[in-house]
Amino acid sequence: MDFIIAKYNYWIYIILMMIGFYAMIAKSNLIKKIIGMNIFQTAIILFFVSMAYKKGGATLPILTNADMHGEHAIQVAQYLNPLPHVLMLTAIVVSIATLGVALAIAIMMYRKYHTLEEDEILKAIK
Amino acid sequence: MKTLGLIVSIIVGAFLMYGTIDMPDWGDPNSPASIHVSPRYIKKTEVETATPNMVTSVLADYRGYDTLGETTVIFTAGMACILLLRRRKEAGKARR
Amino acid sequence: MNIPFDIIFQIFVVMCAIAAITVRDLLSAVMVLGAYSFFMCLMWAQLGAVDVAFTEASVSAGIGTILLIAAVLKTTRRSKD
Repeated sequence: MDFIIAKYNYWIYIILMMIGFYAMIAKSNLIKKIIGMNIFQTAIILFFVSMAYKKGGATLPILTNADMHGEHAIQVAQYLNPLPHVLMLTAIVVSIATLGVALAIAIMMYRKYHTLEEDEILKAIK
Repeated sequence: MKTLGLIVSIIVGAFLMYGTIDMPDWGDPNSPASIHVSPRYIKKTEVETATPNMVTSVLADYRGYDTLGETTVIFTAGMACILLLRRRKEAGKARR
Repeated sequence: MNIPFDIIFQIFVVMCAIAAITVRDLLSAVMVLGAYSFFMCLMWAQLGAVDVAFTEASVSAGIGTILLIAAVLKTTRRSKD
Protein backbone atom coordinates (compact mmCIF):
# COMPACT_ATOMS: atom_id res chain seq x y z
CA MET A 1 0.00 0.00 0.00
CA ASP A 2 2.87 2.37 0.75
CA PHE A 3 4.34 1.42 -2.61
CA ILE A 4 1.11 2.33 -4.44
CA ILE A 5 0.81 5.68 -2.64
CA ALA A 6 4.43 6.51 -3.44
CA LYS A 7 4.20 5.69 -7.14
CA TYR A 8 0.62 6.14 -8.42
CA ASN A 9 1.35 9.62 -9.83
CA TYR A 10 3.95 8.12 -12.16
CA TRP A 11 1.42 5.55 -13.34
CA ILE A 12 -1.11 8.24 -14.24
CA TYR A 13 1.54 10.04 -16.32
CA ILE A 14 2.32 6.75 -18.07
CA ILE A 15 -1.39 6.19 -18.80
CA LEU A 16 -1.58 9.67 -20.37
CA MET A 17 1.48 8.87 -22.46
CA MET A 18 -0.09 5.57 -23.60
CA ILE A 19 -3.27 7.40 -24.72
CA GLY A 20 -1.20 9.78 -26.86
CA PHE A 21 0.93 6.95 -28.26
CA TYR A 22 -2.15 4.91 -29.21
CA ALA A 23 -3.66 7.94 -30.97
CA MET A 24 -0.44 8.49 -32.92
CA ILE A 25 -0.29 4.87 -34.09
CA ALA A 26 -3.88 3.73 -34.60
CA LYS A 27 -5.92 6.77 -35.62
CA SER A 28 -6.01 7.38 -39.35
CA ASN A 29 -7.05 11.04 -39.31
CA LEU A 30 -4.11 13.45 -39.45
CA ILE A 31 -5.60 16.00 -37.00
CA LYS A 32 -6.25 13.16 -34.53
CA LYS A 33 -2.60 12.14 -34.85
CA ILE A 34 -1.52 15.71 -34.08
CA ILE A 35 -3.83 15.81 -31.03
CA GLY A 36 -2.22 12.56 -29.86
CA MET A 37 1.24 14.10 -30.28
CA ASN A 38 0.15 17.06 -28.14
CA ILE A 39 -1.10 14.72 -25.39
CA PHE A 40 2.18 12.76 -25.51
CA GLN A 41 4.26 15.95 -25.15
CA THR A 42 2.16 17.22 -22.26
CA ALA A 43 2.52 13.91 -20.42
CA ILE A 44 6.32 14.03 -20.68
CA ILE A 45 6.38 17.68 -19.52
CA LEU A 46 4.11 16.76 -16.60
CA PHE A 47 6.52 13.99 -15.59
CA PHE A 48 9.46 16.42 -15.59
CA VAL A 49 7.61 19.10 -13.60
CA SER A 50 6.52 16.54 -11.01
CA MET A 51 10.17 15.68 -10.36
CA ALA A 52 10.64 19.22 -9.03
CA TYR A 53 7.99 18.71 -6.34
CA LYS A 54 9.08 18.31 -2.72
CA LYS A 55 6.70 17.05 -0.08
CA GLY A 56 6.73 18.54 3.39
CA GLY A 57 6.14 22.28 3.30
CA ALA A 58 8.23 23.43 0.34
CA THR A 59 6.97 26.69 -1.19
CA LEU A 60 7.21 28.26 -4.64
CA PRO A 61 10.72 29.07 -5.93
CA ILE A 62 10.29 32.80 -5.24
CA LEU A 63 12.23 34.54 -2.48
CA THR A 64 10.24 36.53 0.05
CA ASN A 65 11.13 39.99 1.28
CA ALA A 66 12.76 38.72 4.48
CA ASP A 67 15.00 36.36 2.51
CA MET A 68 16.11 39.13 0.20
CA HIS A 69 17.47 41.22 3.07
CA GLY A 70 19.41 38.34 4.54
CA GLU A 71 17.54 38.08 7.81
CA HIS A 72 18.00 34.31 7.92
CA ALA A 73 19.86 31.77 5.85
CA ILE A 74 18.10 30.20 2.87
CA GLN A 75 17.19 26.56 3.45
CA VAL A 76 17.32 24.44 0.29
CA ALA A 77 14.49 22.12 1.41
CA GLN A 78 12.23 25.14 1.86
CA TYR A 79 11.94 25.88 -1.88
CA LEU A 80 10.89 23.76 -4.85
CA ASN A 81 13.50 22.78 -7.40
CA PRO A 82 13.53 25.58 -10.04
CA LEU A 83 15.57 23.75 -12.68
CA PRO A 84 12.90 21.43 -14.22
CA HIS A 85 10.50 24.38 -14.39
CA VAL A 86 12.97 26.32 -16.54
CA LEU A 87 13.64 23.39 -18.87
CA MET A 88 9.93 22.67 -19.34
CA LEU A 89 9.19 26.36 -19.97
CA THR A 90 11.40 25.97 -23.04
CA ALA A 91 9.80 22.63 -23.98
CA ILE A 92 6.23 24.07 -24.01
CA VAL A 93 7.21 26.76 -26.50
CA VAL A 94 9.02 24.22 -28.70
CA SER A 95 5.92 21.98 -28.60
CA ILE A 96 3.81 24.86 -29.96
CA ALA A 97 6.37 25.30 -32.77
CA THR A 98 6.13 21.63 -33.75
CA LEU A 99 2.31 21.84 -33.59
CA GLY A 100 2.33 24.75 -36.02
CA VAL A 101 4.60 23.02 -38.53
CA ALA A 102 2.58 19.77 -38.31
CA LEU A 103 -0.68 21.63 -38.93
CA ALA A 104 0.87 23.44 -41.89
CA ILE A 105 1.88 20.10 -43.43
CA ALA A 106 -1.65 18.71 -42.80
CA ILE A 107 -3.22 21.73 -44.56
CA MET A 108 -0.83 21.21 -47.51
CA MET A 109 -1.89 17.56 -47.80
CA TYR A 110 -5.57 18.53 -47.68
CA ARG A 111 -5.04 21.04 -50.49
CA LYS A 112 -3.41 18.42 -52.66
CA TYR A 113 -5.51 15.29 -51.93
CA HIS A 114 -8.80 16.82 -50.54
CA THR A 115 -8.92 14.39 -47.63
CA LEU A 116 -7.36 14.02 -44.19
CA GLU A 117 -7.65 10.23 -43.88
CA GLU A 118 -4.39 8.37 -44.10
CA ASP A 119 -5.66 5.33 -46.05
CA GLU A 120 -7.33 7.50 -48.73
CA ILE A 121 -4.11 9.50 -49.14
CA LEU A 122 -2.15 6.24 -49.56
CA LYS A 123 -4.69 5.08 -52.14
CA ALA A 124 -4.38 8.36 -54.06
CA ILE A 125 -0.59 8.18 -54.10
CA LYS A 126 -0.51 4.70 -55.69
CA MET B 1 -3.89 -1.73 -37.24
CA LYS B 2 -6.00 -0.74 -34.24
CA THR B 3 -5.36 -3.90 -32.22
CA LEU B 4 -1.66 -3.80 -33.17
CA GLY B 5 -1.41 -0.19 -31.95
CA LEU B 6 -3.20 -1.08 -28.72
CA ILE B 7 -0.87 -4.03 -28.09
CA VAL B 8 2.27 -1.97 -28.79
CA SER B 9 1.19 0.92 -26.55
CA ILE B 10 0.25 -1.44 -23.70
CA ILE B 11 3.63 -3.21 -23.95
CA VAL B 12 5.49 0.12 -23.85
CA GLY B 13 3.39 1.26 -20.89
CA ALA B 14 4.06 -2.00 -19.03
CA PHE B 15 7.81 -1.59 -19.50
CA LEU B 16 7.66 2.01 -18.26
CA MET B 17 5.61 0.97 -15.22
CA TYR B 18 8.22 -1.70 -14.51
CA GLY B 19 10.81 1.09 -14.66
CA THR B 20 9.04 3.15 -12.00
CA ILE B 21 9.93 0.53 -9.35
CA ASP B 22 13.46 1.95 -9.23
CA MET B 23 12.38 5.60 -9.32
CA PRO B 24 12.56 7.65 -6.11
CA ASP B 25 9.24 8.16 -4.33
CA TRP B 26 6.98 10.91 -5.68
CA GLY B 27 7.78 14.20 -3.95
CA ASP B 28 10.87 12.93 -2.14
CA PRO B 29 12.97 15.95 -1.00
CA ASN B 30 16.17 13.88 -1.17
CA SER B 31 15.71 12.57 -4.71
CA PRO B 32 18.79 12.87 -6.99
CA ALA B 33 17.14 15.61 -9.07
CA SER B 34 16.81 17.84 -6.01
CA ILE B 35 20.24 17.45 -4.40
CA HIS B 36 22.63 17.71 -7.32
CA VAL B 37 22.63 21.06 -9.20
CA SER B 38 19.67 23.05 -7.96
CA PRO B 39 20.89 23.83 -4.37
CA ARG B 40 23.53 26.11 -5.84
CA TYR B 41 20.91 28.02 -7.84
CA ILE B 42 18.64 28.31 -4.80
CA LYS B 43 21.42 29.56 -2.51
CA LYS B 44 23.29 31.90 -4.87
CA THR B 45 20.47 33.43 -6.89
CA GLU B 46 20.01 36.38 -4.53
CA VAL B 47 23.73 37.16 -4.25
CA GLU B 48 24.55 36.78 -7.92
CA THR B 49 21.50 38.08 -9.79
CA ALA B 50 19.42 40.06 -7.21
CA THR B 51 16.20 38.56 -8.63
CA PRO B 52 13.60 37.17 -6.22
CA ASN B 53 12.12 34.73 -8.76
CA MET B 54 14.53 31.81 -9.19
CA VAL B 55 12.88 30.53 -12.36
CA THR B 56 13.38 33.87 -14.09
CA SER B 57 16.98 34.22 -12.95
CA VAL B 58 17.89 30.72 -14.18
CA LEU B 59 15.99 31.20 -17.46
CA ALA B 60 17.40 34.59 -18.42
CA ASP B 61 20.70 34.76 -16.55
CA TYR B 62 22.35 31.41 -15.88
CA ARG B 63 20.99 29.70 -18.97
CA GLY B 64 20.52 32.65 -21.30
CA TYR B 65 22.05 30.85 -24.28
CA ASP B 66 19.33 28.21 -23.97
CA THR B 67 16.66 30.88 -24.39
CA LEU B 68 18.57 32.35 -27.34
CA GLY B 69 18.54 28.93 -29.05
CA GLU B 70 14.82 28.65 -28.36
CA THR B 71 14.28 31.92 -30.24
CA THR B 72 16.08 30.36 -33.21
CA VAL B 73 13.72 27.36 -33.05
CA ILE B 74 10.63 29.62 -33.08
CA PHE B 75 12.02 31.62 -36.02
CA THR B 76 12.71 28.43 -37.99
CA ALA B 77 9.18 27.12 -37.30
CA GLY B 78 7.62 30.41 -38.39
CA MET B 79 9.63 30.47 -41.60
CA ALA B 80 8.66 26.83 -42.32
CA CYS B 81 4.95 27.65 -41.81
CA ILE B 82 5.17 30.68 -44.13
CA LEU B 83 7.00 28.69 -46.83
CA LEU B 84 4.51 25.79 -46.63
CA LEU B 85 1.29 27.81 -46.59
CA ARG B 86 2.26 30.45 -49.17
CA ARG B 87 -0.12 30.51 -52.13
CA ARG B 88 1.93 30.10 -55.26
CA LYS B 89 0.02 31.94 -57.99
CA GLU B 90 1.81 32.32 -61.32
CA ALA B 91 4.96 30.39 -60.59
CA GLY B 92 3.03 27.45 -59.13
CA LYS B 93 0.75 27.16 -62.17
CA ALA B 94 3.70 27.25 -64.53
CA ARG B 95 5.49 24.56 -62.54
CA ARG B 96 2.46 22.28 -62.38
CA MET C 1 -14.07 11.55 3.20
CA ASN C 2 -11.54 14.10 2.05
CA ILE C 3 -10.39 13.66 -1.53
CA PRO C 4 -7.24 15.67 -2.33
CA PHE C 5 -7.31 18.06 -5.23
CA ASP C 6 -4.60 16.36 -7.27
CA ILE C 7 -6.59 13.13 -7.64
CA ILE C 8 -9.59 15.09 -8.99
CA PHE C 9 -7.36 16.89 -11.49
CA GLN C 10 -5.71 13.66 -12.60
CA ILE C 11 -9.07 11.93 -13.19
CA PHE C 12 -10.32 14.95 -15.16
CA VAL C 13 -7.16 15.08 -17.26
CA VAL C 14 -7.31 11.38 -18.18
CA MET C 15 -11.03 11.69 -19.03
CA CYS C 16 -10.39 14.72 -21.26
CA ALA C 17 -7.53 12.91 -23.03
CA ILE C 18 -9.68 9.85 -23.76
CA ALA C 19 -12.57 12.05 -24.95
CA ALA C 20 -10.28 14.10 -27.22
CA ILE C 21 -9.17 11.07 -29.21
CA THR C 22 -12.55 9.29 -29.38
CA VAL C 23 -14.86 12.14 -30.47
CA ARG C 24 -15.60 11.92 -34.20
CA ASP C 25 -16.22 15.61 -34.84
CA LEU C 26 -12.84 17.30 -35.18
CA LEU C 27 -13.97 20.70 -33.85
CA SER C 28 -15.32 19.01 -30.70
CA ALA C 29 -12.04 17.14 -30.30
CA VAL C 30 -10.12 20.43 -30.49
CA MET C 31 -12.37 22.05 -27.87
CA VAL C 32 -11.91 19.06 -25.55
CA LEU C 33 -8.16 19.40 -26.06
CA GLY C 34 -8.42 23.02 -24.93
CA ALA C 35 -10.17 21.85 -21.76
CA TYR C 36 -7.39 19.27 -21.32
CA SER C 37 -4.75 22.00 -21.55
CA PHE C 38 -6.61 24.10 -19.00
CA PHE C 39 -6.85 21.23 -16.50
CA MET C 40 -3.15 20.54 -17.04
CA CYS C 41 -2.47 24.22 -16.26
CA LEU C 42 -4.45 23.93 -13.00
CA MET C 43 -2.49 20.79 -12.13
CA TRP C 44 0.83 22.59 -12.58
CA ALA C 45 -0.32 25.50 -10.44
CA GLN C 46 -1.20 22.91 -7.80
CA LEU C 47 2.27 21.34 -8.12
CA GLY C 48 3.87 24.73 -7.42
CA ALA C 49 5.12 25.51 -10.93
CA VAL C 50 3.41 28.88 -11.38
CA ASP C 51 5.61 30.09 -14.26
CA VAL C 52 4.95 26.90 -16.20
CA ALA C 53 1.22 27.26 -15.48
CA PHE C 54 1.20 30.84 -16.84
CA THR C 55 3.01 29.73 -19.97
CA GLU C 56 0.69 26.76 -20.49
CA ALA C 57 -2.46 28.86 -20.02
CA SER C 58 -1.33 31.50 -22.50
CA VAL C 59 0.63 29.50 -25.05
CA SER C 60 -0.82 26.00 -25.16
CA ALA C 61 -4.45 26.60 -24.15
CA GLY C 62 -4.59 29.88 -26.08
CA ILE C 63 -2.41 29.87 -29.17
CA GLY C 64 -2.47 26.08 -29.62
CA THR C 65 -6.27 25.93 -29.60
CA ILE C 66 -6.46 28.87 -32.02
CA LEU C 67 -4.00 27.17 -34.41
CA LEU C 68 -5.96 23.89 -34.29
CA ILE C 69 -9.31 25.65 -34.86
CA ALA C 70 -7.83 27.54 -37.83
CA ALA C 71 -6.52 24.29 -39.30
CA VAL C 72 -9.91 22.56 -38.85
CA LEU C 73 -11.71 25.49 -40.49
CA LYS C 74 -9.27 25.42 -43.41
CA THR C 75 -9.74 21.66 -43.95
CA THR C 76 -12.76 19.60 -42.88
CA ARG C 77 -14.64 18.76 -39.69
CA ARG C 78 -15.41 15.16 -40.51
CA SER C 79 -13.27 12.20 -39.54
CA LYS C 80 -13.83 8.48 -39.84
CA ASP C 81 -12.50 7.56 -36.39
